[in-house]
Amino acid sequence: MKTENRKQKTENPGPRPKALVLYGYGLNCDHETAFALHKAGAEAVRVHTTDLLENPSLLWDYHLLAVPGGFSWGDDHGAGVILALRLKLALGAALQEFIDSGRLIIGICNGFQVLVNLGVLPNLPGRAGERLTALIPNDCGNFRDAWVRLKVLPSQCVFTQGLEFLELPIRHGEGKFFAPGPVLAELADRGQIVLKYATPSGKPALGRFPHNPNGALLDIAGICDPTGRVLGLMPHPEAHIAATQHPSWTLEKEEWRRRGEPYPEKDGAGMAFFNNAVSYLQGSPSPDRV
Amino acid sequence: MAVRLEIGWQPELADAEGEGVCRQAREYFGLAIDSVRVLKLLMLDLDLTPEELARIRTEVFTHPITQVSSLQPLARDFDGAIWVGYRPGVRDNAGATACEAIAACLDRPLPPEAAVYTSNLFLFKGRRLTTKQLTQVARELLANDLIQEFRVYSPKQWDPEEGVGLILPRVELAHQPTVSVFSIDSLETLRELSRQRHLALRDADLPIIRDYFSRPQVLSKRAALGLGPPTDVELEYLAQARSDHCNHNTFRGRFHYLDLASGQREVLDNPFKTCIEAPTREIAQGKPWVVSVLWDNAGVGQFDDAFSYVIKGETHNSPSNLEAYGGSLTGIVGVYRDPLGTGKGAKLIGGIYGFCVGPRDYAGPLQPRLHPRRLLDGVIQGVKDGGNKSGVPTLTGALYFDETYLGKCLVFVGALGLLPKEVQGEPGAAKKARPGDLLLMCGGRVGRDGIHGVTASSEVSSAGTPAGHVQIGDPYTQKKMHDFLLEARDLGLITFITDCGGGGLSSAVGESGQMAGGVEVWLEKVPLKYAGLDPWEIWISESQERMVVAVAPGNEAPFQDLARKHNVEATAIGRYTSSGMLQVSHQGRACAAIDLSLLEEEFPPWEFAAQWLPPERRLQEPVLGEVEDHQGALLALLDRPNLCAREWITRQYDHEVQGASVLKPLVGRNLPVPGDAVLVRPRLDSHRGLALSLALNPAYSAIDTYQMAAVTIDEAVRRLLAVGAPLDHIGGVDNFCWPNVEYHPEQNPDGKYKAAQLVRACWALRDLCRAYEIPLLSGKDSMYVDGLLPGAFGEMHRVSGLPTLFFTAVSVMGDLRRAVTLDWKNPGDRVYLLGETRPELGGSEFYEMLGYVGLSVPTVRVPEFLPYYRVLEQAIQEELLASCHGLYKGGLGVHLALASLAAGLGVEADLSRVAPASPAYAALYSESPGRFLLSVAPEQQGRLEKLFQGQPLHFLGQVRKDGQMQVARAGRTLMQPSLDQLQAAWQRRFGNLV
Repeated sequence: MKTENRKQKTENPGPRPKALVLYGYGLNCDHETAFALHKAGAEAVRVHTTDLLENPSLLWDYHLLAVPGGFSWGDDHGAGVILALRLKLALGAALQEFIDSGRLIIGICNGFQVLVNLGVLPNLPGRAGERLTALIPNDCGNFRDAWVRLKVLPSQCVFTQGLEFLELPIRHGEGKFFAPGPVLAELADRGQIVLKYATPSGKPALGRFPHNPNGALLDIAGICDPTGRVLGLMPHPEAHIAATQHPSWTLEKEEWRRRGEPYPEKDGAGMAFFNNAVSYLQGSPSPDRV
Repeated sequence: MAVRLEIGWQPELADAEGEGVCRQAREYFGLAIDSVRVLKLLMLDLDLTPEELARIRTEVFTHPITQVSSLQPLARDFDGAIWVGYRPGVRDNAGATACEAIAACLDRPLPPEAAVYTSNLFLFKGRRLTTKQLTQVARELLANDLIQEFRVYSPKQWDPEEGVGLILPRVELAHQPTVSVFSIDSLETLRELSRQRHLALRDADLPIIRDYFSRPQVLSKRAALGLGPPTDVELEYLAQARSDHCNHNTFRGRFHYLDLASGQREVLDNPFKTCIEAPTREIAQGKPWVVSVLWDNAGVGQFDDAFSYVIKGETHNSPSNLEAYGGSLTGIVGVYRDPLGTGKGAKLIGGIYGFCVGPRDYAGPLQPRLHPRRLLDGVIQGVKDGGNKSGVPTLTGALYFDETYLGKCLVFVGALGLLPKEVQGEPGAAKKARPGDLLLMCGGRVGRDGIHGVTASSEVSSAGTPAGHVQIGDPYTQKKMHDFLLEARDLGLITFITDCGGGGLSSAVGESGQMAGGVEVWLEKVPLKYAGLDPWEIWISESQERMVVAVAPGNEAPFQDLARKHNVEATAIGRYTSSGMLQVSHQGRACAAIDLSLLEEEFPPWEFAAQWLPPERRLQEPVLGEVEDHQGALLALLDRPNLCAREWITRQYDHEVQGASVLKPLVGRNLPVPGDAVLVRPRLDSHRGLALSLALNPAYSAIDTYQMAAVTIDEAVRRLLAVGAPLDHIGGVDNFCWPNVEYHPEQNPDGKYKAAQLVRACWALRDLCRAYEIPLLSGKDSMYVDGLLPGAFGEMHRVSGLPTLFFTAVSVMGDLRRAVTLDWKNPGDRVYLLGETRPELGGSEFYEMLGYVGLSVPTVRVPEFLPYYRVLEQAIQEELLASCHGLYKGGLGVHLALASLAAGLGVEADLSRVAPASPAYAALYSESPGRFLLSVAPEQQGRLEKLFQGQPLHFLGQVRKDGQMQVARAGRTLMQPSLDQLQAAWQRRFGNLV
């Protein structure tokens, strides 16, 4: 195993936990994902996929792994399949050790597709590492960029603590969450379903387009692993870290102005994912002891 | 041994792609199809052990819970099947990534001859489907015979054991590369050579070329290198360099303009110099933010202290007209290489598009190669894959339907980049190859594709046009190259960079060699897709995704290391020199040696006769009484193809990747409608914004191209002002698309008129840019928007497109938080019209709906407009406005409806003081430029009226709480449609497309 000769596990993440954001081979949301993590207080480093594949022990320098959105290897043979394969061959069991040591992983859009193909999601007990779920082409038959309303379900998930509803953009052609019935039931029972598409008024989307933009089963937009430290989601939290990214921010600004107040510099709702991750890493004295 | 792997979705899963084909086939042909499912076929043309095959099948190509796969045919229980695969040599992106995946999975490199060919097998259910119908589906929907082959199977013909068999589109060129030489004993020989080889050389150029090759000092220099008469490499090079596409001979031509009514004569010498270069240089004097214009691949303007923005517009009409998907994909990916090849290389931060096609539901007698519906679907999809897979947000775009684009469609693509002001202590916008620098080619490999693209786009499209220039772009390869080159730039490894576009290496190397003072190229070093190419083919091939970079010899090793990390191929193929010569060799033998000064010699300008017949002599105003059913007229207008909702296109494009989106292409909490301009935040750590707008108004060309161009520029400017971007920072990009302007008594009998139309548009460009002080940062012309189409009886028609100007405008906003959108914000807000409405309905959507062109073309009056444009800027700076929206095509009535729909709030407007002396329809639908629709909170009413004192600001009414749009005039209610009615009309036409 290439990762055996690894460095000492980081004992103290210090005030600024380190985040590894993958890039290269067609990934394309690396800059803004790194920016969001940086804004949340992490020391975010973009690492080229080749560097990680050739030197897997790099992983141990970091407390969070982010696999951002994009089209890795062009997504020609199933979204995320080839990057997942490359990571599996190079990192092997190290990823699971990374998780077990208390570190965090987030996969967004293409990154989510990678994590389900790697099998670190859903990682059901007794079936660890298996490809039990899939993200398949949207029912609408096309790539779609639209903002959706999401309901956050109560769960162990580190990234979504304190959230109830939020709006984020989705931007994908293959985002329909699919799993066989028993797997869906187990995910629900174990509280691993973290995000669901909802109507603007907050009711379940019940599969209806465009509230559920891709036909995802049970309206699932994101799931976590049993530890709550690995999250995969189709919507893009890194694309809503500033208020001005929201499609109707000018309306909100006008409402502030009418109240006679200056328009405040608010964070976008997606920042919570990154803030939660950083607080978690800062709060635990050492991720190894979680 | 090659094998065929078939992959499909588990039977119980829906097949979204198949359902899409099913929808299209029903819509296109009205066929009774029950369902379609798609199998992916991989022809694995490489040696694998059974274990290896099993491994890649299960680990890479088959998802365990959603897919099934087999080495045996999976197809069963169908009523008809169509197999579609690429022809030999066509870029197969999925095949290439399959090879990468196999190598990774098996952890061994594949031999160079290994290949994977991907194809699709479409399985149709529908009892009554005939082979004839399926053949139509194959030919007119699924396969383009220029790049693909298809086979149709009925269940009876299907062999369940063999399936489609093994189909391996290998390229096999059993050809020994050679260099041919041609002695040019006479001009007639050269002319004939040009004709045979599709060189498209002009008669006037022939003596200069012949004379060059007979000069004694040239002859002796050539003899010393072992060269005699000109070679094919040299002639092809000269043909590329002299093509209208590369050299812009039309725009550098001499136009003899005659106004047939007044007898006035005028010579416009070199419109590029007179109407573009000269005004831009003058204006740039007063605009310190203009960094670099008129020489590089794209224009550069200052963004802030540390960064510049880079902008470029291109059209890719001819290839898209032949193969819509491949053409537009290659177009958008290609225009992205322009900012990447500007200065020391810019990061891509945005893309834009503009499509002009025939009516989507065209049912007339003309038979274009691709029906407009199919063509549009294809170009939309090409920009989708090109933009999305490049990780570049497709910020905004336009779509315009007109029957004249049946002859040739227009596919405009534009790109925005961000360039550091300094790179390792040197200016980021400067670049220069130095003698001694190595010349490296990066990115894709060279094949026979794209040969003679440039000369073909300089000809009218006809059945004899060589189709070899149709290509499939590869955004994945280019994205890797983009990331690699930006890192190489930041390390200071790049001294010069340019893209390999039209003309291939010949153009990129020739131009950079001119800057360096000499260059030599070793063609045998150029990585090829397959063996057997002649040196001249390597030299001019337009194979995509390539850049040419100059690197100091000492930096080659770190440059190559970085390339390896990014999985990008980079190869030293030559060296810059100080010889003053372009020298090309193959396997150590010289095959070209040309003085670089040859192309700067006095090639005579192209001459054009231009004859203008003023509109009063051609057209008249219709005799038209007042409309009675105003509501019916508005609802009908909202349903017009050029005004209605096209959300389905916008949603296919990722306009938010990179996280910089501030004003999106669609605006409004209730129902997103097209915004005036988009606004991005290129630096996530700053509040500076970059605003971008696009305008085109070809309909006015039928009356006067001067006003067509003027209104278009004014529109692009107003679009920026409407969102709050400053006038002083506006830069422009002009993209002309024109029919052939060269008179020919039989082939182009109105060529002189078209030439006069071009002259007038150039004058407008010059005048408006001066008046608004807009430097032209970049631009391009595409001159042959004509086609020959068969009609009902097989007779050929020449169809020339409307003269079209795409005008893109960009401006920098100091604080993006001051941006304004068009949607009403609150009930009770006061609504105003800014600017005068005149009865200018000529070329309007309203007249067109009634079957008229008219005469009263909208007219731009800059001295009247500019003063209140300045006041508007101030109002937005003071954050006085709740909403602001420019009025464009469709006029006041249509845009009142859009502002209401976006907000989900009605409006009541009294138009008594709008064009009071004209019929109500003029107030509602005149397309007078220079106008805006504003709304303010009631308490701001006094401030607003004071600010605009003396300016044409007209109170219209207020925003309503309910969903009613009430329009009155002179005490009479003209209409009161509900928002639901408006929305239904606006979305009816394309609302069910996804």
